[in-house]
Amino acid sequence: MLFTSVIFACFFTVFFLLYWYVFSGNLRLQNLLVLAGSYLFYAWWDWRFLFLLIGSSILNYLLGIGIHKTKNEKYRSLLLWIGLVQGLGCLLFFKYFNFFLQSLTGEFAALHIILPLGISFYTFRTLSYLLDIKYRKIEPASDWVVFFSYVAFFPSLISGPIDRPGLLIPQLQNKRAFNPEQATDGLRQILWGLFKKIVIADNCATFTNDVFAHYHTLPASALLLAMFLFTIQIYADFSGYSDIAIGLASLLGFQITRNFNYPFFAQNIADFWRRWHISLTSWLTDYVFTPLSVYFRDYGKSGLALAILINFTLIGIWHGANWTFIFFGFLNGCLFIPFVIRGTLNKKKKVQPGSFRTFVNMAGMFLLLIFTFLIFRADSLDMALECYRKLFSASLFSAFPITEKVNMAAALVAIIIMFWAEWKQRDKQHALQIEFVQKRPVRMLIYYGLVCFILVFSATNIIDFVYFKF
Amino acid sequence: MTKPVNKFLLKAMLFALPVFILFELLFRLGLAPVVTNSDLFDAKVRHIKQQQIRDVKLMAIGSSITLYELKSDLIKRNFDIPYYNFASWGIQVSDMRVILNDYVNEYHPKYVIMCASIGEFRGPANESYLNYFNTPRFIRNNLPEYFYFKNYNSIHQLVWRKYFEYPINFDQCGGAELIIAPKDISHKKLDSRDVFPTRYTQANYIALDSIAGFLKAKGIKFIFAQAPIKKSYANTQLYQQRLQTHFDKCKQIVEGGSGIYLNYYNPAVFTDSLFVDQYHLQDAGARVFTKEAIKDLKAIIK
Repeated sequence: MLFTSVIFACFFTVFFLLYWYVFSGNLRLQNLLVLAGSYLFYAWWDWRFLFLLIGSSILNYLLGIGIHKTKNEKYRSLLLWIGLVQGLGCLLFFKYFNFFLQSLTGEFAALHIILPLGISFYTFRTLSYLLDIKYRKIEPASDWVVFFSYVAFFPSLISGPIDRPGLLIPQLQNKRAFNPEQATDGLRQILWGLFKKIVIADNCATFTNDVFAHYHTLPASALLLAMFLFTIQIYADFSGYSDIAIGLASLLGFQITRNFNYPFFAQNIADFWRRWHISLTSWLTDYVFTPLSVYFRDYGKSGLALAILINFTLIGIWHGANWTFIFFGFLNGCLFIPFVIRGTLNKKKKVQPGSFRTFVNMAGMFLLLIFTFLIFRADSLDMALECYRKLFSASLFSAFPITEKVNMAAALVAIIIMFWAEWKQRDKQHALQIEFVQKRPVRMLIYYGLVCFILVFSATNIIDFVYFKF
Repeated sequence: MTKPVNKFLLKAMLFALPVFILFELLFRLGLAPVVTNSDLFDAKVRHIKQQQIRDVKLMAIGSSITLYELKSDLIKRNFDIPYYNFASWGIQVSDMRVILNDYVNEYHPKYVIMCASIGEFRGPANESYLNYFNTPRFIRNNLPEYFYFKNYNSIHQLVWRKYFEYPINFDQCGGAELIIAPKDISHKKLDSRDVFPTRYTQANYIALDSIAGFLKAKGIKFIFAQAPIKKSYANTQLYQQRLQTHFDKCKQIVEGGSGIYLNYYNPAVFTDSLFVDQYHLQDAGARVFTKEAIKDLKAIIK
């Protein structure tokens, strides 16, 4: 049930009506509806993995209560470790078992394991829940419905954002009133997300998938364009999904974690990772990087660099079981080292917004992303190396055919619109927060303009969200 | 509580209304929704609807071979029963299984004829047909506008399909003519030889077996006609052997399901000059083929 499918639109319409009309007076029933809706949404993909989700929820719910009630620190740690082993164990088994097997045996030996959708996301939710209880940042949810709804909250179940218990659980515990401003803003954010996903990401994907599948027969110029478009595609796809998820949650009266803060306007790599997939990077910062940097603090800058490298390698591994992801994470960690050496890691550059320097920094950062995201996209490190090698050939100046010309032209125009709108709106939560436009007809013109753009130039094939596989 | 929700919902519906009106307008203007990923199959679906086909006793099913090579006028002249040719381009036997499941239940034929060459046994099934047939029949027949949203039809794609793509003309019974001037015949296509069997061939044999069983269970007579193939296709012993193996396999499957197997592979009758490529006959060749088939069908169709 893709967010962009008719079936989801029907599901959500019915859900919305039940939520605000039938169950609006009763918080527990509303939460039960959230839970039932989330399970239906999840089971639509593969009902068998629903048992894993429910099993994981039951165990973590009980562990959370156990950790909270126990005074004995050793026993608290033991309970936490049970939760960590269960969560990470499932993740390791479903996501990485074949990878380890193949890497160790060095040959093709694999089990037929299907990756449960959203496992990386809901596992991180349950882990943060247990860790926060252990370190007394939060109290466990007293109502199992609240906790189960937190784990399975359908707008962000499949591809995040990874909501922290401190943010979502209190919202589930408190009575929710319909807020028309919040709901309207949610609709706007959904529209912006659909524009990014359907017009930009899917149209780019038609071209990039084709080029990466036949890169060895195409000129380097086609590969370079595909690298450029893939960098934008992955942003439009994932941030588009996040926008839709946040918008859907807003329609239900929830405020969930922001996942992107216009990362293409980052001034350097540290700034980029503060803006990209924020819910994951902040999760790892809190639960991995900070403890590690404390642990390595006696080693000074080397210790800090080591903590960063471990943290970013984990970010890479989180994306999937492939050496490309591991290397992608490690490489990004390496790019931080100059900042560590200079001691400017946490210092934000003081540059005049909109100055020439800002744009030069942004362009340089974008160029760097184009080259690093190639590793992320490649099927193997060999393929990535071959692509890099190919870029330094004479075919960089050769022409190449584009089959879907209209789609490509539409994608390029849409990319310009996206960059322009997001730059103008960079202080806002999303680009379509345009209440400052006083004239209602102008606002409507903008909304309908986007709707028309989607209807006229949507990609021929709607492609699954890239982050579904993580 | 309900008042702000009512207002919000009303506003949202008013906002969405022009979108629905736009698509309804497109539909009325003949910019039909994309139903499957085959323009040609979609055209056939529209034709079936336009012709308001209700009762079909003789149902032809298949790919372009059945579409072009069963001449509707000759069939109509020789058999006094309701007939329609449901064939479309590029369809595989696996697809026919999906299509038949629906069409048989809707049109209740007495006879199903499938003219096939080896092209129908070479490719994978097209999932978009399954997607179409899995849509409730009521929606397919009464609310085709649904496909604008189900399949994400971009308007530029709809316009392109209507005005710029290959024109498709069917006769009243769903057949079509293949007339290509000798100068336009592609020698590359004429002299090429597709690899056969492929990794999908077995799945298509299984589908053929399933079709035979399905039609037998429904009490429908299944007639499988092996269409002519250009002589040069089998000009090596290896390919002759492969063709013969294929013929034997199909015969065994069809007759195993109490169907009738007819083979018109006869390079002496269907000379190379009657072909436009390895499998497709020119219109003149198609008429010869239909006449030959009618001779046999007269003994079967009462």
